[in-house]
Amino acid sequence: MTDLLVPLPIALPLAAAAILLVFAHNWPEGAPDAIAVVVSLAVAAICGLLLPRVAQAPIAYWFGGWQPRHGLTLGIGFVIDQTGALIALFIALLFAATFIFARGYMPEIGTYFQALMLLMMTGMIGFCLTHDLFNMFVWFEVMSVAAFALTAVRLEASALEGALNFTVVNSIGSYLMLGGIGLIYAKVGALDFSALAQGIAKAGANPVVTAAFCLVVIALLIKAAIVPFQFWLSDAHAVAPSPVSVIFSGAMVSVALYGAAKLYRQVFAGDPAVDFAMHHLMLGMGAASAIVGGLMCLWQRHLKRLLAFSTISHVGIMLIGIGLPSAAGTVGMIVYLLGHGLVKASAFMVAGILLATYGGIDELGLRGLARPIWPAGLALALAGLLLAGAPIGLMGQGATLIGSAAASAGDIWAVVAMTLGAALTGGAVLRAAGRIFLGLGPVPGEEEFEPTEREAETRRPFWLMFAPCAVLVLAALTSGGTVARFVHRAAGPFIHPDNAGILQGAAKLTGSGGIAPLPPDPHPLVPWLGLALALGLAAWDLSRQYLPHRLLSLSRMGVAPVWAVLSKAHDGIIGDYVAWMVAGLAVMAAVLALR
Amino acid sequence: MTALLPWLVAAWLLGIGLYGIVTSSNYIHLIGCLNVVQSATYVILLCVGYRWNAGPPIFDPQPPGTPAVDPVVQALVLTDIVIGATVSALLLALAVQLHKRKGTLDPEALRPMR
Repeated sequence: MTDLLVPLPIALPLAAAAILLVFAHNWPEGAPDAIAVVVSLAVAAICGLLLPRVAQAPIAYWFGGWQPRHGLTLGIGFVIDQTGALIALFIALLFAATFIFARGYMPEIGTYFQALMLLMMTGMIGFCLTHDLFNMFVWFEVMSVAAFALTAVRLEASALEGALNFTVVNSIGSYLMLGGIGLIYAKVGALDFSALAQGIAKAGANPVVTAAFCLVVIALLIKAAIVPFQFWLSDAHAVAPSPVSVIFSGAMVSVALYGAAKLYRQVFAGDPAVDFAMHHLMLGMGAASAIVGGLMCLWQRHLKRLLAFSTISHVGIMLIGIGLPSAAGTVGMIVYLLGHGLVKASAFMVAGILLATYGGIDELGLRGLARPIWPAGLALALAGLLLAGAPIGLMGQGATLIGSAAASAGDIWAVVAMTLGAALTGGAVLRAAGRIFLGLGPVPGEEEFEPTEREAETRRPFWLMFAPCAVLVLAALTSGGTVARFVHRAAGPFIHPDNAGILQGAAKLTGSGGIAPLPPDPHPLVPWLGLALALGLAAWDLSRQYLPHRLLSLSRMGVAPVWAVLSKAHDGIIGDYVAWMVAGLAVMAAVLALR
Repeated sequence: MTALLPWLVAAWLLGIGLYGIVTSSNYIHLIGCLNVVQSATYVILLCVGYRWNAGPPIFDPQPPGTPAVDPVVQALVLTDIVIGATVSALLLALAVQLHKRKGTLDPEALRPMR
């Protein structure tokens, strides 16, 4: 019975997408939306059923019955542990909420929207559950191609340009990943995670393994928009339809990092060069993303672009969690991923509500206009507080875990960077909420420099759009402790998988013991400091009219050079983005070679 | 030398492909360069699985156990080609739509959010 359940989370949405397309124009109005909601809820229910069944030990499922024999793997397997099932459950629920939010959106393009979204969900869930490196690449591509098409689905000029940049940069990443897969296959002769892990352990410290890791992980970092690979994200997320942005920021980028964490822990861990890269390079890149994303976020006036930069910052915080040597960092990253997904999804839904209701999303243009829909403002302000690092709810739990793991590893600077990054993005979101929903801050600030444009989305009933948004942000607020304890209990098989059992085709895998108890908090004051900084930033920007002129011009002089450099780098030209990417690749390779 | 040659070819293809993308002034040319980058992966994968003096991995007339090239990488290359075709088709469609709206395909002239 359990074995029947395993392929369903991918088979069901894939089949539904195909059926939606077969009868593309013959569906009665509303039917495709209903089908999409039902299918994603069904997938969520299946993942929920799997969760208790893999509590004792993970399940290995071999497609077509190609079990490994005598340690030799020929087939492709899914190995489902509680962590994987939980992430799949989260993805399915997020899609269900988004389908409800998007009901009646873009009726002119027929069922393509729902079909592409279901395809993207299939890709993401397959990517999280698979146990084969090449299969992981295929799911990665399924999710990417659906995402490329969804970005451009409105066929407006800026959406097409954003989609082109997105597609080119991410495709180069995919090809690098494939090159890395070729290298590791040349060395080890296997693609199954367990077989790879054993082969890598046998090969010892080896430059081919390091190069393969470098290439594969760069593809995932490009997808996750880590500095210096982040440029495509603000172009794509800002112009994609808002239901699509919800998924992009809420799940797609962070799922790529989940894949990186899984590959590191289950395949490459133990290789000295890879351990070095994870601890030093990833921590540094994560901290850089947290701060660059936070600063860019603060200077935006286009709300979706603002939220896109905020995503870069928070993904950087997740990367810090992965890079830390202790398991607590990885546990914290998974908790943070769930929390950030819920919060950022609801923030993008507020942006979508504004687009649908007022036909605009410019923070300055909308000042005070949105008072009648104050519940949405409440949700955005709550999201801002949670993004700023308030020590409550899921994000707070995750940030505390990552911070305490960093502090106990001696990387206090990483704690500083993540607190600062979160405070900057939280401050920006709080400022936007105050300006749009309360009408504060009539004097425009630096953000007047940044681009914006007129756009509109189909008008839909407010409560229909607001209900999923409120549910998501409240879920992030209330579920913190329970989920954090669950993820910590479940992380054992994720971090130490039963490779021998999987390779022998064992009917019953061992659950492998739990992981070390969590380290103590760095300091209970740290998150409050971040929150205070965020509130201070928002208050500063909104009260410019009352501040002395000297103080303002002084602060502007300090900020202008940083703004000029960062803004020039985010110039929207694809060639420059790729040049940055090659530079990042070269630096990573050089650091690893000269280690 | 012969063992090293495919790797050098792959590195060369990757290098010129990326150079072309960075310096391109036309999206159609850029998409072509992206395909050059992808060909590097074909060369790597085929070179990984190739064996000298070995036949195709089909054991109908020959008995099982005859030397044969690795069939796994050939399956990978086929999948890779399918993915490449999908991405190129999508990109070209985007370029056509963009040209209809803006009348140019120069990345310098086409920047999102400007």
